Amino acid sequence: MIEFRQVSKTYPGSSNPVVKDLSFEVPEGEICVLVGPSGCGKTTSMRMVNRLIEITEGEILIDGEPNTAMSGTQLRRKIGYAIQQIGLFPHRTIADNIGTVPNLLGWDKGRIRARVDELLDLVGLSPDDYRDRYPAELSGGQQQRVGVARALAADPPIMLMDEPFGAVDPITRERLQDEFLRIQENIKKTIVFVTHDIDEAIKMGNKIAILKQGGVLAQYDTPQNILSRPDSEFVSSFVGADRVLKRLSLTRVSEMDLEQANGGTDGLPRISARLTVKDALSELIDSGQSKAVVEKDGENGLLTFEAIEALTSGTSDGGEQSA
Amino acid sequence: MSNQALLLLQDVLGEPKLIDWEWLRENFSEDVIPALQGHIFLSFVSVAIALVIALPIGVISARYRKIYPPVTAVTGVLYSIPSLALFAMLISIPGVVIGPSPVIIALVAYSLLILIRNTVAGIDSVPPETIDAARGMGLTNRQILLRVELPLALPIIVAGVRIATVTIIGIATIGAYINGGGLGALIFDGIDRQFPTEIIAGAVLATALAIIADLLLLGLERYLRPWARARRT
Repeated sequence: MIEFRQVSKTYPGSSNPVVKDLSFEVPEGEICVLVGPSGCGKTTSMRMVNRLIEITEGEILIDGEPNTAMSGTQLRRKIGYAIQQIGLFPHRTIADNIGTVPNLLGWDKGRIRARVDELLDLVGLSPDDYRDRYPAELSGGQQQRVGVARALAADPPIMLMDEPFGAVDPITRERLQDEFLRIQENIKKTIVFVTHDIDEAIKMGNKIAILKQGGVLAQYDTPQNILSRPDSEFVSSFVGADRVLKRLSLTRVSEMDLEQANGGTDGLPRISARLTVKDALSELIDSGQSKAVVEKDGENGLLTFEAIEALTSGTSDGGEQSA
Repeated sequence: MSNQALLLLQDVLGEPKLIDWEWLRENFSEDVIPALQGHIFLSFVSVAIALVIALPIGVISARYRKIYPPVTAVTGVLYSIPSLALFAMLISIPGVVIGPSPVIIALVAYSLLILIRNTVAGIDSVPPETIDAARGMGLTNRQILLRVELPLALPIIVAGVRIATVTIIGIATIGAYINGGGLGALIFDGIDRQFPTEIIAGAVLATALAIIADLLLLGLERYLRPWARARRT
């Protein structure tokens, strides 16, 4: 668990703090996304966790201990670190890059090699093909996979990720996000994830902390609640006018309560239950019909505009988060 | 008439043949080889000492930017003193005897500017995100310097060593003026005796030495940088 307690950062010679009185908790095994416009202090906040930037006031607790209890370098070896520009060592092989922290921690060679191969498999790169290559031989997407593998190398309970999928094209980014969420289901790391992209925040986060200029926390909540109950003008405008649609993207059709289709489904469009409700709505509009057939648990259900509307209306919970 | 004229010309030049192969054969192991060895010794020792001085100064200058301008100013002045004058000045200092030592001091002084500048440029060339990632993973400053910055700065540092070496091999010939030895001794002797063979032997060997040293260093740099050979296909 990571706990920010009244954390502020002011650079010497400046009277305006870049982060101000920041307090929130990241529960064990969850992804907390820090999101906000540029200059909101999100990266600064993340970098204070592993003390790449020192706090001016307040404290950050990791599992109840202040993060100043040990030296900065010792602390950082226990926290995974992945950044947008990746920063692979160009002069080291992929295996050496991934083995950086285990090597610092003094693991023996056999254990490091086994761990490197395990991680390459985990991020979908064949160890035999990639282990001995140099970063320059890899595509941007492959390098970001290696960057994530390197951050996971010593199996740290906590990870810091600063736009870790930012330097690739949108299609690759989407795939990397999905793969990482799948990995996270198993490894259950406590993650502070920084992005400027609200869609990525909604997709990746169990919790989202929206920051505004001056490093002030505007809202800290689940993606659902941020979309359904933005508690300020700033948050609702940052989230965007399409926040209702964004909420629909959090739910899959398979998670909805659908009314039974009692025959009469001829001529109606069929929609996959695996789609998000947002995509299903798009298909429904495209079909020109007012309802569509969804096959779910071997039965036919009916997806209607009313059912979708019910999902978005009021402040009631609109379903489980799809991630 | 042509015979007469040729003889007259020979008198003027003092020596009939540009290259006296006989002399070369007879003096090769006694004069030429020791001069070459002496030259290699002077150049190698000077570059080595200069590197030992320049690397730490370069590293510190890259870290603490304020000292970099004064460092380049001082080494820049050293670099711009005419070599003959520097040699003469050095032997006028009490306690400095003529011979190889003042030559080495001067050659070191000449290399510093190039080596320090290239060390700083090399360290500056390391991508900031690579250093950020290294720090973020818990490398200490010392580990970042030794495992990340210096290896990545290597090509630019070696490029500096190559320039310094070629420069020094050239300037070292003048060191013979203050009895530093080396190939310059052949050249000065040839000038004194108006004997072109010696001059040419010294000049050709000094040039060849510079070219060979340059190629060897280039090879060394390639060898030390396996990652540069591997490029995306």
